[in-house]
Amino acid sequence: MRVVTLIGTEKGAFLCRSNGDRRNWTIEGPIFKGWRVTASARTPGGRYLLATASQVYGPALHVSTDLENWKQIERGPAYPEGSDRKLNQIWTLTCTPERHYAGVDVAGLFASADDGESWEPVPGLNDHPTRESWFPGGGGLCAHVVLVDPRKPERIWCGISAVGVWRSDDGGATWQAKNQGVRCVIEDEKIPEIGYCVHGLVQDPDDADVIYRQDHAGMYRSRNAGDTWEKIEDGLPSWFGFPIAIDRRTKTLFSVPMESDEYRMPVDGRFAVYCSRNGGDSWEPLTDGLPQERNYAGVLRGALAVDTLDPAGVAVGSTQGDVFVSADGGAAWQRLPCRLPRVLTVETYVEE
Amino acid sequence: MPRVTIELPSLLTTVTGEETLTVDADTLREALDRAFAEAPALRGHLFDESGTFRPHVLCFLNDVNSRWFEDLDRPLGDGDCITILQAVSGG
Repeated sequence: MRVVTLIGTEKGAFLCRSNGDRRNWTIEGPIFKGWRVTASARTPGGRYLLATASQVYGPALHVSTDLENWKQIERGPAYPEGSDRKLNQIWTLTCTPERHYAGVDVAGLFASADDGESWEPVPGLNDHPTRESWFPGGGGLCAHVVLVDPRKPERIWCGISAVGVWRSDDGGATWQAKNQGVRCVIEDEKIPEIGYCVHGLVQDPDDADVIYRQDHAGMYRSRNAGDTWEKIEDGLPSWFGFPIAIDRRTKTLFSVPMESDEYRMPVDGRFAVYCSRNGGDSWEPLTDGLPQERNYAGVLRGALAVDTLDPAGVAVGSTQGDVFVSADGGAAWQRLPCRLPRVLTVETYVEE
Repeated sequence: MPRVTIELPSLLTTVTGEETLTVDADTLREALDRAFAEAPALRGHLFDESGTFRPHVLCFLNDVNSRWFEDLDRPLGDGDCITILQAVSGG
């Protein structure tokens, strides 16, 4: 068994490899040296997709079967020539047996029905009647998270900052805002259903109605597919943070709280991952092996990943380029022997 | 038809595989089109949704910035060099 953790950074991607023990790691890279590596995913068929971006040369999507030989996809997500929307980067890739989805900046959703070889816009969301009033968050106006109900793939959720969570029940044809119970951060005078700044979403793997939401305005849970949300912050040192991840086997949740939207750094200089073992009812810190003094590195929304092994491996990358990994569900951590560029995205792939 | 070279920044070798392309073309636009035909993904890296060069992409024909040309229909001569550069900005 091989485990590969793909670290996407501001200046390329790094492949951290280990075996099932996940104690000893080798670090390869950078691949796509000089490019921002903004997202990666593995398709159900076993192909890898990787998104790059450059302030100068724009975004691109690449495909590989082995994480070594890559080919740029020629018909990747793109706004048409003449559009007043510019595609700055691909924020997220979600792959399902039926379709793959790419969430992009400026906000839009694209879908592929041919395993990523060609992509089409999802106009039901991209041209939503509220579109002209969408307002960007600190990271831009970006569609950065997509969930798909594995049992009803026509049910799709998309998180857009700073607009909110949208749900489609008809395969993307129509979309409804799903933010009731969440505090609005940028109220729109005329359109009350927008102005919500979702930062991250994860879903219960066995019950798609149960969704957890790290929002600009707090940590939330929905038990009805996003129709309503409740706060779940017991034990968290701060309601603010970006990433949220779930161990699909135990359903343990992981988050990285930051000190408020104003400061965005570890609370009291203690770099800590928090976990909830009871569906968000309470949270506890995981700090063994993580720096607990004078560490003010942030963690971006894509930079936390949980693998599929038992016990789960957890990996987190910081804005200072540190990468911490745990082989036991976050109980103990080790820092990988590297100092990378600012970490944008972390994904872990288990290869049998 | 003149034979010209197109020099690309190393970042774009992920697209073209080479830093230098050689094409036969009568005009600057035609040379770029030939390059895009050889490496279709290159177009999206040089041009944005406006259909023109991205704001931080510079294109020189020999030592003249293409932005000073009225359009890209500039005639080429045998041995001309088209250089794509990243505009220096920020700090």
